[in-house]
Amino acid sequence: MTDALGAARALLTDRIGDLGDEWDRAGAVPVALLRELGAAGVLCAQLSAEDGGLGLSSVENGELTAHLGTLCGSTRSVATSHGMAAWTITRIGSRKQRAAFLPRFTSGELAAVAFSERGAGSDLSAMDTRIRRDGDDVVVSGEKVWITVAAYADLIVVFGNYDNGSGDGAAAVVVPTDTPGVEIERVPDPMGCRAAGHATVRFTDVRLPADHLLGAAGASLSLLVSSALAYGRLSIAWGCVGILRGCRQEAAAHARSRTQFGKPLAEHQLVAEHLAELYVAEQVATRVSEHAARCWDDGSPDQVTAVVLAKHVAATQAAAGAARAVQVLGSAGARDGHPVARAYRDAKLMEIIEGSSEICRVLLAGAA
Amino acid sequence: MNISTGLLEFLASRTKRTWEPDEDLFASGVVSSLFALELVVHLEKAYGVEVEGEYLSLENFRTVNAMEKMVLELQAATP
Ligand SMILES: Cc1cc2nc3c(=O)[nH]c(=O)nc-3n(C[C@H](O)[C@H](O)[C@H](O)COP(=O)(O)OP(=O)(O)OC[C@H]3O[C@@H](n4cnc5c(N)ncnc54)[C@H](O)[C@@H]3O)c2cc1C
Repeated sequence: MTDALGAARALLTDRIGDLGDEWDRAGAVPVALLRELGAAGVLCAQLSAEDGGLGLSSVENGELTAHLGTLCGSTRSVATSHGMAAWTITRIGSRKQRAAFLPRFTSGELAAVAFSERGAGSDLSAMDTRIRRDGDDVVVSGEKVWITVAAYADLIVVFGNYDNGSGDGAAAVVVPTDTPGVEIERVPDPMGCRAAGHATVRFTDVRLPADHLLGAAGASLSLLVSSALAYGRLSIAWGCVGILRGCRQEAAAHARSRTQFGKPLAEHQLVAEHLAELYVAEQVATRVSEHAARCWDDGSPDQVTAVVLAKHVAATQAAAGAARAVQVLGSAGARDGHPVARAYRDAKLMEIIEGSSEICRVLLAGAA
Repeated sequence: MNISTGLLEFLASRTKRTWEPDEDLFASGVVSSLFALELVVHLEKAYGVEVEGEYLSLENFRTVNAMEKMVLELQAATP
């Protein structure tokens, strides 16, 4: 483990510890803590040193994300969105935009990414959000739903249809949340990742200098979105590795320490099978995520499909694995405030977001 | 190897068929939008360019000729 990864891991362990359950029940992570983690670079640890980040490799950032995923799914969600926002600017922004925006990502500011709308979930081509040029300005109008981190965010990278009067195209805009016309309303009572600050965000003729516009003028929506999501999907895959790690540890510890019918639960074969399958799930999720991260670090075009595969496999394994862990714990894990109960709720959502399991399979069928 | 020969070889190895330099990759249905992203990653690594901003238009990836033109433009613009 490199020094930077070791120090980042230690910081997360120290600041989060076992507070994840408390934050989950409160529905919020202390914002000051998120800002501290952001300023330390651990919420977008792959950002290059040149851009003010820790410059971890994709494999190292994956390990850090898995560790965060074990500690607290909500904080991991914040890191996924914040890191994806930074990656989007790195990927589709110009050099000048990178220099202008990226240092803010490690200065304690927090960022979100907004694709989804009421009428456009899996099918983002149905987006209604309009981004139009008006002289030296760019104007954003629309409504985005379920935006992770939005309740805490200083910046939101907003995707929409680019309307310059001449043909099709898509764009993304970096919108500071204190701009007039931005309204943020929290999603009440999400099923999981309850402290990740999900919100509905309305943009009413939000006017910004045109240098906030990324992409544009004929850029393809599917290319912009799949470029941005590549980071988010791999981050979620590693978050699922973290969920499985935590679930395997909790289930194994419980099964070895609790006795029923005169012997530890772990010695009953049907319970041992759950432990074996949890181990398998964690290993499988880890290996597919590592493969995708290695392809990323090598600059291999294989990364594109490998990331979708990793997200799909890790999310499916995490949802099934967390359900097994609750089963092994029995009533001990059947209440809010227990890590496996939280993992169970968080893991289910991983099968829905950033390309549901069905959408991932549609994409993988295309690669078959 | 020139850019277009290199790209034709890359495409043949990924899609298991041969292509003409002016053939529309997307019209064939063989090439998906995810594959367009693979092309972006490949061009960046193979030719040392950064495909960013408005260059991320599917039109630039529609044919081998279009990709070659874009790479030459990006190489010329790189300081
Ligand atoms: C916790 C959480 C966090 C989120 N964070 C963000 C965020 O930060 N930014 C953001 O932009 N969005 C975010 N979202 C929204 C998320 O991206 C969408 O929920 C997701 O894309 C699915 O869209 P939908 O909910 O509208 O479901 P729908 O698209 O309506 O899908 C419903 C069901 O139908 C299936 N389905 C749809 N189309 C097909 C098809 N062609 N073939 C087979 N099955 C299909 C889906 O797989 C799903 O099972 C978040 C959502 C959640 C729950």
